[in-house]
Amino acid sequence: MAMSRDEVFEKVQGVLVDALGVDDDEVTAEATLMGDLGAESIDFLDIVFRLEKAFGMKVPREELFPAESLMNDPELVSNGRLTDKGLAELKDKVPHTDLTEFEKDPDINKLPDLFTVTAIVNYVETRVNAA
Amino acid sequence: MRWIWIDKFVEFESGRRAVAVKNVTLAEEHLHDHFPGYPVMPECLMIEAMAQTAGILVGEARNFKEKVILAKIGKAAFFDHVVPGDSIKLEAQIETISPEAAGISGKITRSGQLIAEIELMFSHIDQNLAGKKFPEENFVFTGMFTSLLRDVVLDRRPADSPPMESGG
Amino acid sequence: MRFILIDKIVSLEEGKKLTAVKSVSLAEEYLGDHFPTFPVLPGVLLLEGLIESASWLVRKTEDFAHSMILLEQARNVKYRSFLPPGSQIEYTVEAKAIDESVSRFSGFGVAGDEKIVEARFGLRHFNLSERNPALTAVDAQVVEELKGRYGLLSQQR
Repeated sequence: MAMSRDEVFEKVQGVLVDALGVDDDEVTAEATLMGDLGAESIDFLDIVFRLEKAFGMKVPREELFPAESLMNDPELVSNGRLTDKGLAELKDKVPHTDLTEFEKDPDINKLPDLFTVTAIVNYVETRVNAA
Repeated sequence: MRWIWIDKFVEFESGRRAVAVKNVTLAEEHLHDHFPGYPVMPECLMIEAMAQTAGILVGEARNFKEKVILAKIGKAAFFDHVVPGDSIKLEAQIETISPEAAGISGKITRSGQLIAEIELMFSHIDQNLAGKKFPEENFVFTGMFTSLLRDVVLDRRPADSPPMESGG
Repeated sequence: MRFILIDKIVSLEEGKKLTAVKSVSLAEEYLGDHFPTFPVLPGVLLLEGLIESASWLVRKTEDFAHSMILLEQARNVKYRSFLPPGSQIEYTVEAKAIDESVSRFSGFGVAGDEKIVEARFGLRHFNLSERNPALTAVDAQVVEELKGRYGLLSQQR
C-alpha cells in the first residue's frame, strides 16, 4: 500500500512522540534520535515495536539501527574509526541514510548522529512502497 | 515489608494475557506513611503490581529462562485513588515480545471502575545491559513468584516449543 | 519499614526546582526480595523518590494548601542503571507548571556520575473535603503530619 512521504513522516513523528515522550515540534526531520531526542537502547526497541504496529510490517532492529553490532567488531572499527570494511558494511546496512559527510571522518562517536528522523522516514518509505 | 504486590492470579493465558488481584489492607505498614491520617495505596506500588503481573506473564512466555526487568514505564495514568478495603484487578496483555524485550499494556480496575492505564517495557537483561554486572542465576523469578502460578491452570506449551516472537 | 523514599531536601526554589538525596541501605527490607543475591532499589521506588521530591516542591510552593498530592500520570520513565545498597542518589525535579490542582515535572536521579532514572510526570493536588465536607478535619490532620515530616527532611544536619 503506497504512502506519500508526508504521510510516512507524520506517522513516524507520532511513533517518536509516543516512544520518547517528546513534543511534536521537537521531532524535526534533522533531529538526531540520541542527541536531540534523548533516545537510548530501550527506546530503540520501543521505536521498533511501535513502527511495526503503525505500519503493519516486521522491522528487524538490525536494519533500522545497525550501528550497535558494528561498533563492537574489531575488523570494522580501528582507533575509533570505521575501517574501509566497516564503512562498506555500514553502507550496506543503511542504504536509507546519506553517508557522504560521515565518510569524510568515520569517527564512531559520530555514528549516533546518523540516526536522524529522516533516516527512519527514508527506511519506512522504502519498505512501505516496495510492498 | 515483602516486595510482592499481587495476591493471586485469577486468569492466565500463557503468552497473551494475565489477570491478578491485589487486596489493599490496613495491615500493610507503608499505608500509614502515605499518608498519616488518610491511607491510600501509592501509585508507584500500583505500577509495581502491574509490573509483577506483566513480568510473570512475560517470564513464563519464555519459560523463565531470562531475567525480566522493568526497563521503561511508557505511560501510567491514574483516574482515582485506592484505599484499604479495596480489591484491585490488574489485567496485563503482551503487545510485543522479542528476544531482547517485551512491551505490555495493562489496566487496573476496582469493581469494574477504571483506576489506571499503564504501558511498560521489560528488558531481558541477559541480552542487554552489556557491561553492567549482575549474577548469572535467575534472581528475578524466585519461589515467591512461581508459587503464585501454582494455583492457576496453565495451558503450558511443551518446553521446547518456540515462544511467540515479533521483530528483532 | 517506613514509606519515605527521600532522606533530605538539599535545595528548594519555590515554584521551580528541588533537589533531594536518598541513601540506600541493606536495612531496607524489600531489598531482601529485590532481588535475593542482587539487591537493588526497585524502579518504582526510584520513581517514588521523584514523586516525593516534586510533591514537597508543590506543598512548599502552595503553602500546604492541599492534603493529598498524588501521581496523576507518568511518561517515559526510564531506568538506566542499578542502584545498590551503600550508594546515594540525588534527585532533581523541575516544575514545568504548578497550578491550583495539577502540576507537571521533569526529573532525574543521579548516583555519582551515573544517571539512574529519568521521568516526566504530573501530580494532582486536592483536599478530601472537596468530595466529602466531613473530612475537613482529616485534611488538617494530614497536613499537620506532613508539615512535621517536611521539618525533618529539611533539617540542617
